[in-house]
Amino acid sequence: MITTLIGRELLNNLMTFRFAAAVFITLLLVVANTVVLIEDYEQRLESYNASVKTHHQEIREKQTYSAGEVEVDRPPNPLSIFNVGLDKRLGNEVWISHNYVPTLWEARMNASDNPYLNILSSIDIVFIFEVVLSLMALLFAYDALAGEREHGTLRLVLTHPIRRGHILLAKYISAMLCLLVPLLLSLLFAMILLTATTSISLGADDFLRIGGVVLTSIAYLSVFYLIGLLISAVTQRTGTALMLAMFVWGALVLVYPNLILAAIRSSDIPQAKAVSAFNQIKQVWDEFDRERKQYLATDDFPGEDPTFNIDGIGFFYEYFPKDPLTLLYFYYSMMTFGELDEKFEREVPHAQNYFQFLIPSTIKAAERAWLIRKQALEDTLVRKSNMKRTLLKLSPVGMYDTATQAWAGTDLKGVRDFFDAVRQYRQTLIDYLDSKNAFASRKWFAADEGAVDWSTLPAFSFKKSGVETNAKRALPDLLLLLMLSVSLFMLISLVFIKSEV
Amino acid sequence: MIWHIAKRELSNNLNSLRFALATVLLLGLMLTNAVVHLREHPERVQRYRERVSEHQNHIAAHASNSLYDLAQEGPGYLYKKPSDLRFCAEGSETFMSDRAQAGYHRWSTGTLKSFWILAYPSATPNRDNVRPDVTKVDWGFIIGYVLSLVALLFTFDSISGERERGTLRLTLSNAIPRHTVLIGKFLGAFISVSIPFILATLVNLLVISTSSAVHLDAEAWGRLGIIFFVAVLYTCLFLALGMLVSARVQRSAVSLVMLLLVWVVFVVFMPSTLASIAGKFTPSGPTYDFSERSWKLHDELSNDYYSRHYKEPEGSTKRIEIDGEYVTKDAEQQEQLHKARLNLRISEVNRARTITRISPVTIVQNLLESFAGTGFERHLQFLENVQTYVREFRTFIVDTDSADPESLHIFGVREGMSQKPVNSDAVPKFEDTLNLSRDFNTAAMELLLLTLCVLVLLSGAYLAFVRVEV
Repeated sequence: MITTLIGRELLNNLMTFRFAAAVFITLLLVVANTVVLIEDYEQRLESYNASVKTHHQEIREKQTYSAGEVEVDRPPNPLSIFNVGLDKRLGNEVWISHNYVPTLWEARMNASDNPYLNILSSIDIVFIFEVVLSLMALLFAYDALAGEREHGTLRLVLTHPIRRGHILLAKYISAMLCLLVPLLLSLLFAMILLTATTSISLGADDFLRIGGVVLTSIAYLSVFYLIGLLISAVTQRTGTALMLAMFVWGALVLVYPNLILAAIRSSDIPQAKAVSAFNQIKQVWDEFDRERKQYLATDDFPGEDPTFNIDGIGFFYEYFPKDPLTLLYFYYSMMTFGELDEKFEREVPHAQNYFQFLIPSTIKAAERAWLIRKQALEDTLVRKSNMKRTLLKLSPVGMYDTATQAWAGTDLKGVRDFFDAVRQYRQTLIDYLDSKNAFASRKWFAADEGAVDWSTLPAFSFKKSGVETNAKRALPDLLLLLMLSVSLFMLISLVFIKSEV
Repeated sequence: MIWHIAKRELSNNLNSLRFALATVLLLGLMLTNAVVHLREHPERVQRYRERVSEHQNHIAAHASNSLYDLAQEGPGYLYKKPSDLRFCAEGSETFMSDRAQAGYHRWSTGTLKSFWILAYPSATPNRDNVRPDVTKVDWGFIIGYVLSLVALLFTFDSISGERERGTLRLTLSNAIPRHTVLIGKFLGAFISVSIPFILATLVNLLVISTSSAVHLDAEAWGRLGIIFFVAVLYTCLFLALGMLVSARVQRSAVSLVMLLLVWVVFVVFMPSTLASIAGKFTPSGPTYDFSERSWKLHDELSNDYYSRHYKEPEGSTKRIEIDGEYVTKDAEQQEQLHKARLNLRISEVNRARTITRISPVTIVQNLLESFAGTGFERHLQFLENVQTYVREFRTFIVDTDSADPESLHIFGVREGMSQKPVNSDAVPKFEDTLNLSRDFNTAAMELLLLTLCVLVLLSGAYLAFVRVEV
């Protein structure tokens, strides 16, 4: 019996204008945007490759160890085509040095360099589904019960010995089947375009991740269909159901996400916690500076000159870069000379001793400052954004967005994986310098006896986390969507069973 | 007769669910907008004032040292004045820098210091970027997205619904010309959409104007009037579209599906898709290219400089001249490079913005931005103000230096310039201004485009309705 019902519903849904329109519009939007998005990805990949090459070249041209700052790049994520998330917005180029611990707030942009282009909005496939499929689901659902009640066919159906739950189930299954057509068809086209592009090579893991995105999309679709069905079950007339459905759609998709974030205070003024953390970090560096000055005052060299009177073609910098907003504070010093005059030969051992003392103590201070900074950043910047994300999840749109970002690996956690790798690489760099005994070496600041050979420095490589990590991050929201579906279905059954026809 | 039909339409709408829902939705949005503005704007103004006094202190501190010091340091950061009407359109404001750096230094050697140049920093990128990405609830959003949707929901069944119920035939059996019916219906729908919008706008403005923290002057009210007019025009556009589709389509459900699809495509997707396509045309070249060129220019200059510098005896006027030439020429070159990059970026964005004008929502947002004194046009105006000020500042330095008889009048080097302190009151200060007449010039084209769209759609609706069978 239920199969007969499904068949009837399916036929009813398939032969409508809205079905044709749904298929047409999703196909059009997804295909057009996928082409644009792939091109955008290729451009970012190209500039990433160029940037990697430049940085590779740059480090090899550094003559002294103290000039040896390595710049590493974050590769664009091919799955950002599905949900761009933070992939394009956060910096993709960060410099690594022994004297500070990098975070994503120090990262810069290497590509898509025109910052003014940000004023134009951008798009991804998940956003299309988010807007169009939810609208379609509501348009398929609003008259499912109210319409049949108006036409009187519902009474007719119920004269047969069928359980009301079965009717609902049949309606749900057939509508979901219909809604899956535009979703899967457009995804199919997108996949064809993706796999036809030579610059994008998707591995087995990536296909699993895309599978996760599809699964989440289906759950999202189901939630919106059931919201529409609920509206249809409680209203008497299709006109009312339609109006209610449209306003609910507007409220959930358009208004709520924007409203909630506007209402939450996001002030630029640093909170007390950030201020106190910054002071603590400042103390660490002040202490470091005292020790440094004390060393300079007590060493064999007269005066407190950190350059030891050495001068020539090259440069010497020394300052404390700081940014109270991101709690950045460190000691930056670089002394590098290509040629050294004979007359400075007496001062060279002094400088060597000084750097042998200075660099390890800089590293130590940087690590201590990092421990404070890490916690404070977590408390101020990250927690604030996480709270906003949680509030967004009160709308299914928020759940869908978070889950798909997690699948694609473009969420905050995914991007932070990269910065974890960067911090690890900083340790590698320090170990490398240590193994070369670079801090005490003359090559730390002078290249007169030959430039540094950087060819043995291990290269930076970043491997995306496995698909199981993505799944672990995405599952909570996916489960929320599924649970929402189930509870909505139960609610509808309750309403429908009790309602008069 | 028109009024009769309009009144009937109005009373139908006023009792409907959609009217109640639209009122609640618009009121809620406008109220949030006002509250957020009241919370954030005083802070913003306060911060701007602090920064302006910082700028003045910076100038005073260097002026009291010496003219050379002032000329070498430059006026420092110059800040963009926040607009009082930012609640109307702030969409793109967060992506643009609120300052220009008239004091960007690049190098110093033992004896020489680079002169300042005018640089254009981009908005602090990463700090807040971890938060989720959404549009701000400003008037641009409320009018562009919500009001247009409401307008469609009020008109999708205005003709097809009456035809379905059979009342259209009844109306037309009276001796009423069809265009009268159409105009009556249009007026009815227009008034019923306007009521919740005007109500919400009034509440919004009431909340904002009664607060002592935000002050709106006469000019601001004039601008608000124009913005309101733009909103009305935009609403008419979607009302006309709704009536056009409603007249052509037999069933209301089909009419709504079509309208929603058109809305989704034109309002939600068109701006983003077109922008990403337009963004592809001419990329301005990545940063490393720029910094490479910058270093190359600098290296060429400094190689030439060092080869000439050491030929002259220490302390000679000739040597000072060579030093000065090196410093000033370097600053000039680098500033030109920065300006060229800025111009490239601006022309790229302008091209993209031209293409996105196919979507009416972009037109409206552009218009709102130009009248609210925010957005890209305003940013360009700010940059122009900055450039004018920088010229003024440099002229002042030259004039003051030439007034000092002890100076050698060689710019770029301490020994070559006036060493006397300068009266800090005489130094020009930067004051950012907003100019309405200029806004109107850039906006006139868009206003015309919008009016044209409304006229085309209205006549389309008329033609469709005149020829339709009932």
